[in-house]
Amino acid sequence: MNPEFVRNAWLEMTPRRVAMMIGLLALTFFAAALVGGAEWGPSSVASLLYYVIVVIWGSRSAALSVVGEIRDRTWDGQRLSSLGAGTMTWGKLFGSTVYNWFGGLICFAVVLLNVAIHLGPVTALIELIYYLGIGVIAQAAALLASLIAISRGHSHSRFEIFAYQVVGLAAALAVYYVWSAADPVAAMTAHKSSTETIPWWGVACDARAFLLGSLAIFAAWTLLGCYRAMRLELKMRNGPLVWLAFLAFIGVYVAGFDAWLSPNMKGWDPVALRMLLAGTAFAVLTYLMVLLEPKDRVHYRWIEGQVRAGHLAKAFNALQAWMMSYGATLTTGAVLAAWLARDVLVASSGQALVLAGLGFLTRDVSVFVFMQTLPGRRRGDFGALAILFALYVLAPSILAGLHIEDFLFLFFPQVESPTWLGAAVAWMEGLAIAAASIARLALTEREERAAAAA
Amino acid sequence: MIEVENLVYEYPTTRALKGVSLNVADGTITALVGPNGAGKTTLLRCLAALEDPYSGRISIGGLDTVASPREIHATMGYLPDFYGLYDDLTVRRCLTYAARSHGIAAEKAGAAVQKAAQSVGLLDRMDSKAGELSRGLRQRLAIGQAIVHEPRVLLLDEPAAGLDPQARRDLSALLISLRDTGMTLVVSSHILAELEDYCSEMIIIENGLIAGGKAIKVRDDARPRYMIELATARSDLREFLVAHNTDVIEADEHHALIAFTRNPSARARLVRDLVTAGFDLASFGESSKALEDAYFAQVGRRT
Repeated sequence: MNPEFVRNAWLEMTPRRVAMMIGLLALTFFAAALVGGAEWGPSSVASLLYYVIVVIWGSRSAALSVVGEIRDRTWDGQRLSSLGAGTMTWGKLFGSTVYNWFGGLICFAVVLLNVAIHLGPVTALIELIYYLGIGVIAQAAALLASLIAISRGHSHSRFEIFAYQVVGLAAALAVYYVWSAADPVAAMTAHKSSTETIPWWGVACDARAFLLGSLAIFAAWTLLGCYRAMRLELKMRNGPLVWLAFLAFIGVYVAGFDAWLSPNMKGWDPVALRMLLAGTAFAVLTYLMVLLEPKDRVHYRWIEGQVRAGHLAKAFNALQAWMMSYGATLTTGAVLAAWLARDVLVASSGQALVLAGLGFLTRDVSVFVFMQTLPGRRRGDFGALAILFALYVLAPSILAGLHIEDFLFLFFPQVESPTWLGAAVAWMEGLAIAAASIARLALTEREERAAAAA
Repeated sequence: MIEVENLVYEYPTTRALKGVSLNVADGTITALVGPNGAGKTTLLRCLAALEDPYSGRISIGGLDTVASPREIHATMGYLPDFYGLYDDLTVRRCLTYAARSHGIAAEKAGAAVQKAAQSVGLLDRMDSKAGELSRGLRQRLAIGQAIVHEPRVLLLDEPAAGLDPQARRDLSALLISLRDTGMTLVVSSHILAELEDYCSEMIIIENGLIAGGKAIKVRDDARPRYMIELATARSDLREFLVAHNTDVIEADEHHALIAFTRNPSARARLVRDLVTAGFDLASFGESSKALEDAYFAQVGRRT
């Protein structure tokens, strides 16, 4: 059996804790049977306790699974073990939460018994999938958040651990809402076909199947994310291919929702709308990853050194996710701008808007990198977010207050007259800050080398 | 066993290792010494394939740390300076987990655990919880976890820190016994006297570089170190000693630290020649603090 799981079980499942869990739950169900009435009988209480024990508490246990090892100085020993990333991931995910699952499964047994008696075995089976799924996804999301934070050198404080737990809870909420919307029990037991459809790539998909399928796919990506983050912790190389595959998936998935945009985007054909959606998704991922990933200037210098030496494959393999997402956004935006040229109605304004968006994305990403080159860069991301808040919220608000909205194009994409001014300004800002970032990186390297030589 | 070529390691604000090159022979105990912040821990973590070098190459038993980190982890034991134990697990379970997580099959784990416990002298504590052990015993358990899979290389970062004299002596004996099994050990410390008991070579790290550019032999039974002290200063002491087939480690007008043959006749001849040449010889004797002498000789030469 997985040694990491076994070790966790040794620590978590002590006879005293097991007896305590069984005793407390038994007393709770007994009390519910006596005084809970029809609304708060043992089954309802068990369902509530399942959420508390497996989802809320389990997310915290999962978030602590690696963070706790770092805090207790045992993580280096684990990193030096022979366990593979997959073994370590599932050993952590289910090992650190084994006590939660123990309590959760007792609760679930009570729920299942009630469902099986009153609604039949098929419903019970569907409930089983739901309860297991929401627990695993919440815990995996919390573990993934903690692993990402560890890679950034943050992980220890109680607030940070709470933040990882919140990520897990947010994932659980998403599962809850998607599952409720899909209502698979109704489909299986009452054989009700879905009353709603979701238009995707021009096809009216059954909403229930689409939602459940999407849920399963995103859960799989979350687990894959945990595995990949664990690989990095174990000093294994990830390479760019899986992230590129994720980008491709997201691009295709999001592009299918063009029908939702078409009423508001007069003159844009479906291909342009799909490219716009895909590009926007790539841009969102660029922002997300440039915020989450460590922006290590040593790593940037290393990539630059590999490029200079002509080792392009090495440099490509070392690209961070935000760099690939940024590249995908630029590529999609450029293709979209070229595509829009076919239609005189939207060509000029559409192209300008897309190019301005790309310019501002370049500016914003460069702000994140630039802030990391300054002294006290541990707070660099916070500084970058503050600057973006000033650029996107404060400055436009002030302009609006002064009734000089004509200058909003300086801060975010606007269709201005003359049309190309906004795009030109955006790119000037983007290139200026990018150049400043590169200059700062070069300067700090020169300073450090001079200091080292001295 | 360990080959390091021009290793550079950078933290975002500083270059911790500035081109370190070294070789560690199979079956030796090498001391890694230097002041705090010199780069010892960074070097050990790079050797353990826990950190990627900015440039340069590290080979452990023919495996590159960047290309094959997991293979290296499987054949390596590492005890960090600040390590943790699972306080609520018994010694047996701590060692069993270490064995299983290092790929030892379940049916062979029991024997491996017994062997490791015997090596570190914890057989009588197998059912004690790690949290109940004394500092010295915790240290032994940590080493036991690091050697349970019989690694070819064992890296120890400040293993004697905080140990009482008896525990330090036990640690020395343990490290020598591990070396005698064929293991290669690299031990970082800033307590030179303790290293003297078991190290064969010493690498001095100072400001991210190896002082003197190479490892120093700590003890050489064929050519031990001798300290010569003069009552009256003579500026030609070094030249004289070099001309008389000695390896001058350090010399000034008042004293010299040399490596010289253990042969009594040769030593007597050297003393006679010194006196004949008019050197006002105050003392001539084997250095009892060989490591300390070598350290300060090397560091002193750079400054």
